[in-house]
Amino acid sequence: MKIKSVKFLAVDILLMILAVAPMLFGIALKILTNPASGGIEIAGARIYFTLKLPIQDLPITESQINSWLVIFSVFWLCIYFTHGISEKPQTKRQLIAEWIIETTEKLVKGNMGEYFSGFAPFVAAILAISAFSSLLTLIGLYPPTSDINIVAGWAILVFILITYYKMKCGPVHYLKSFGDPVPFLAPLNVISEVATPVSMAFRHYGNILSGTVISVLIAAALQGLSNMVLGWLPGVLGEIPFLQIGIPAVLSIYFDVFSGCLQAFIFAMLTMLYISSGFPAEDYKKRKNKKIKSEVN
Amino acid sequence: MQSMEVISVNIWQILISLCNLLLLFLILKKFLFSPVKKMLQKRQNEIDGQYSEAAEAKQEADSNKAFWEEKLGNAETQAQEILSSAAAKADVRAQQIVSEAEGRADGIVRQAKAAAELEKKKAEAEIKKEIIDVSAVLTEKMLGREISDDDHKKLFASFLEGIGGSDDSN
Repeated sequence: MKIKSVKFLAVDILLMILAVAPMLFGIALKILTNPASGGIEIAGARIYFTLKLPIQDLPITESQINSWLVIFSVFWLCIYFTHGISEKPQTKRQLIAEWIIETTEKLVKGNMGEYFSGFAPFVAAILAISAFSSLLTLIGLYPPTSDINIVAGWAILVFILITYYKMKCGPVHYLKSFGDPVPFLAPLNVISEVATPVSMAFRHYGNILSGTVISVLIAAALQGLSNMVLGWLPGVLGEIPFLQIGIPAVLSIYFDVFSGCLQAFIFAMLTMLYISSGFPAEDYKKRKNKKIKSEVN
Repeated sequence: MQSMEVISVNIWQILISLCNLLLLFLILKKFLFSPVKKMLQKRQNEIDGQYSEAAEAKQEADSNKAFWEEKLGNAETQAQEILSSAAAKADVRAQQIVSEAEGRADGIVRQAKAAAELEKKKAEAEIKKEIIDVSAVLTEKMLGREISDDDHKKLFASFLEGIGGSDDSN
């Protein structure tokens, strides 16, 4: 391998700093604005300030800020991964970048078919924003995915895409599809259509939030138990919640790491499946052929 | 500082989040997928080029091989031809040489025979003369006198007749 120039290394280090900087900024912001609180607290995102807007005021909260931080980080990571990219791989990160792209493209092609192969970046974006948002809990930040508004936004975007692809054969075909298989089931079909984004949003948000809630509850319960069992120890020793050592960490691995990644994967999978199954490929092909024929005639 | 309710719906936040996802999609597409895919495409092109080059080289080598094999085959048949023609020529030449040699040998033998005949005749004549001389001396001695040439001749003639030899040429 060639010895990289000083300039290359400098840019590398700068990019890495830029990728980590948003996280550090988030932590600093949290420390500066978060008053030390004792006891159990289960609340939504902290509101930094509120913008006056029509319909509804917009509170700029932790979840907003944190998702922007995630986007910044991912942006700089992308630049870092593609820095010094060449046909003959000279850096390990290029292999990682190629792996990411090949894996997502394979996933998308496998689940959605060749027609939707352009969806790879979108699915990668869902995976990245969801997983990184959930993993923010590891550095003590508020995970945006445990805010219903954030996940609902993604679900609505997915719903728009589903509807767009369902309408590829024209609005009449779309409306007719509600009367399938028998017309009087139409209300149920409408409900199931609307239920798709709602279920997606609630599944993701609920899983992450419940993980946080359970973690907090168990930590509090362990503190109580520790006081009860080891409270007889003299002096300061009795006040240290020894039982809080270890057990919350194991739970955190499940609720923060595993559940976060799993929910990201589930959200991405559901996105792919809903969009590709909603798309009437056969009818679309027929329609296209008809159009071509009529144009020829 | 205030906190949101655990469940609170805010349209603007939903909209912002929707835009965030779109933004991240665009970022990933522009800054991760397109450069890497461009690079992969380039690499694919390079590999394809190398493969086609290799195929071309192989084709060329094959045609060269066929050419040289043909040449080699030709050369073999040519060598065979040259050899056979040389052999035929050599045969003819050998035949010639042998026949010439035979002719010469025949000549030599004939000459030798002729020479031998001549020698023989010469020797015979000499012997005759010798005999005549000796017989003359002997008869002289025996007769106690010299014989004249006439006598001599007579005597000799009768003697020769007695032997039955051929005519003398003196």
